[in-house]
Amino acid sequence: MITDILQEIGSTLRNNKLRTALTGFAVSWGIFLLICLLGAGNGLMNSFMGNIEGFISMSVSVEGWYTSEPYAGYQANRHIELDEGDVAYTQGRDWTGVIYNVTRSTTGRSETLAYGSHTVDGYMMGATPEYQDKEKLKLTAGRFINRSDVKERRKIIVISLAQAKELMPSAPEEIVGRWINASSVAFLVVGVYQTDERDWRRSVLIPFSTYKGIYDSSDKVDAINFELSGPSNLKEYKEFNEAYGSAIKRRHDIAPTDERGIWLHNGYVENIQMNQAKNILRIALWILGILTLISGIVGVSNIMLISVKERTHEFGIRKAIGAKPKNILSLIIAESVTITASFGYVGMLLGMIACQVMDKTVGAKEVDLGFQQIRMLVNPTVGLDVALEATLLLIVAGTIAGLAPALKAARVRPIEALRAE
Amino acid sequence: MLIELKDINKTYDNGQPLHVLKGINLSIDKGEFVSIMGASGSGKSTLLNILGILDNYDTGEYYLDGTLIKDLSETQAAQYRNHMIGFIFQSFNLIGFKTAVENVELPLYYQGVPRKKRHDLAMEYLDKMGLAPWAKHFPNEMSGGQRQRVAIARALITNPRIILADEPTGALDSKTSVEVMQLLKQLNKEDGITIIVVTHEGGVANETDKIIHIKDGIIGEIEENRQHTAWTGPLVK
Repeated sequence: MITDILQEIGSTLRNNKLRTALTGFAVSWGIFLLICLLGAGNGLMNSFMGNIEGFISMSVSVEGWYTSEPYAGYQANRHIELDEGDVAYTQGRDWTGVIYNVTRSTTGRSETLAYGSHTVDGYMMGATPEYQDKEKLKLTAGRFINRSDVKERRKIIVISLAQAKELMPSAPEEIVGRWINASSVAFLVVGVYQTDERDWRRSVLIPFSTYKGIYDSSDKVDAINFELSGPSNLKEYKEFNEAYGSAIKRRHDIAPTDERGIWLHNGYVENIQMNQAKNILRIALWILGILTLISGIVGVSNIMLISVKERTHEFGIRKAIGAKPKNILSLIIAESVTITASFGYVGMLLGMIACQVMDKTVGAKEVDLGFQQIRMLVNPTVGLDVALEATLLLIVAGTIAGLAPALKAARVRPIEALRAE
Repeated sequence: MLIELKDINKTYDNGQPLHVLKGINLSIDKGEFVSIMGASGSGKSTLLNILGILDNYDTGEYYLDGTLIKDLSETQAAQYRNHMIGFIFQSFNLIGFKTAVENVELPLYYQGVPRKKRHDLAMEYLDKMGLAPWAKHFPNEMSGGQRQRVAIARALITNPRIILADEPTGALDSKTSVEVMQLLKQLNKEDGITIIVVTHEGGVANETDKIIHIKDGIIGEIEENRQHTAWTGPLVK
C-alpha cells in the first residue's frame, strides 16, 4: 500500500512541478536556517565547554579559608586548616549520598626544576592516583602516580609537557626515566602530561606521602576531594552541600552562618547548572528555527488548499468509484508530508554543508584574548540525533500543513463527479 | 428484483423548497437493459444520484440486490458504490494524470487488491475493450470513443451488480455513439450485465430494451422496447 500511495503522490506532484518547487523552497529554507542555527549554537557551546575544560570536574572539593565572624571565643579572620581528622570524618560518616574516592592534596610550593643546565619553574603538589582523573590530565608519555608510589613514598615526579620542553628541548618526552632536581632533592620523572598553548597549568606532582615526608610533616591537608553518588538533582546536591558544610564548620568551630570559613566547591552542581544553560540555549535555537519553519508550513498549507480546490472534480470521481473519506484524507496528508519531508531533507543537507563551511572558515579562526587563544566556534555541526529530531519535526509539520486541506478534500461530495468540467 | 424503489421522495431546499422526486416506484430486474428518459429538470439526474448512492433521499425505500440503501455513512456509501455500482459518465471522468490502465485499476485500489493482481485484471478488461496497446497512454492522448471504453472497463472491473450510464454518448460524435451503444448492448446480451442508461436522447433510449419516461418527478409511461422501434430517427441528433 505504501508504494501505491507513493505512486499516487508521484503522479500528482509531477503534474504540478513549478507549484511543488515553489512550495518546497519555503520548507527547505526553514530547515536550512534551523540546522545552521543549531550548528552555530553547538559550535558556540563546544567552544565554551572547551575553554572551561579542566576547571570543572565531577567531584566535590573542600578547602579551609578565613572566617568572617567571631565564634566560640575565636576572633574573626582566623585561618582554617583541614586535617586528616576531616578526611577520616568524610570517609567514615554515612552521608545522604555515598562518598567514595576521597583524596587530599597538599598546599603546593613553588620549586625550580633543573635538568643539567636547563631550569623551569613549577608548582609542586602532593597527589594521590585519583588526582589524574579529577584534573582530567592526559599523559603523553609515561604513567601517573600509582598506589605503590604513595605507599612507598617514592621520589618520583610527573611534569607537564611545557616543562619537559624547557628541560629537554631536543626530545621532551624522553625525559621520562631521567632524574631531575628540585631544591637539591632528586626525583625520577615517570610521566609527562599534556598541555597546549592555552594551558596555564604549571603543576608538578609527586606522591602525597612523599610530599608529606619531605616538606610538611603535619597532618594538615590543603584540600579534600571526593566523588559522590546518590543525590540526583540540584536540590539534593544543595542539601548535601548544606549538611556537609555545616558538619565541617562544627568540627572547626566556625559560626554556622559564616559563609567564608570553608570553601566548598561542588562540581556536580556546576555541571547541572551548565547543562541547564546549554538546554536553554538549545531550546531557544529550536524555537527560532521552528518559527522560521512555520512560514514554510503555512506556504505548504496554502498551496495544498488551492490544489484541493482545483482537484475537487477528481476527488468527486475517486469517491464515486469507491474512495472512502479516509482514503482522500490520507492521500492529501501523505502528499503534504512528502513535499515537506523531501524538500526539508534538501534544506537539511544544505544546512549541514553550511555547517561544514562554517567549521572550515569561522571555526578555524582563533581569537587572541591576550593570555590565551580561543576558537569562537568549535565543531559547529549537528549530530544524527538532531537530524532524527528534525525528520520527526518535518513529518509533524507536513501533517499539520496537510490537515486543513485534507479535511476539505475529504468533504467533497461524490456528486461533484457528475458535474461537467 | 435487483432494484426496488418504493415511494421515493426528494426535496431540495435552497431557500425555497423544490420537490424534485414525487413518489417514485420502480423495479428493475437482473439482466435488464433499461433507459431512464426525460427532459432536463425532470428529476432524472436526481434519480440517478440516488440509484448510484451518490445522494440521499428523504422518504421511501431503495433496495439494491436486497440491501436497504438508506441513511448510510459516507464510508458505507463508498463501499457499496465500490462493490455494487459501475459508473459511466458523460465526460468520461478519467483522471488526467493517470494512464489508461491506472484509471481502470483505481476501483480495485480502493478495495485493497494487491498491485499485481489489480494490474493483470485491468489489462484483461482493457484487452476486452480492444485497448490493450493503449494501456500506457494518458487520457488526453486518446479519442473520445477510446476514453469512454476505458471508463467502461473501469466500471466493469469490480464486477458490479449494475452499470449506471449517465448520458454515455453525450460527448461523442454520432459514429462513436453508435459504437459505444453497441458495446453496452453486447455487454448486456453476452455477459448478462444489468445496465441503466440515463439520457434525454430518444435515439439512445431506443437502443435499450425498456424505456422509463420521467417527467416532473413522476414516472410516466414505461415502454417495452424489445424490437427497438420507439424511435425512428438517427441515434443522436
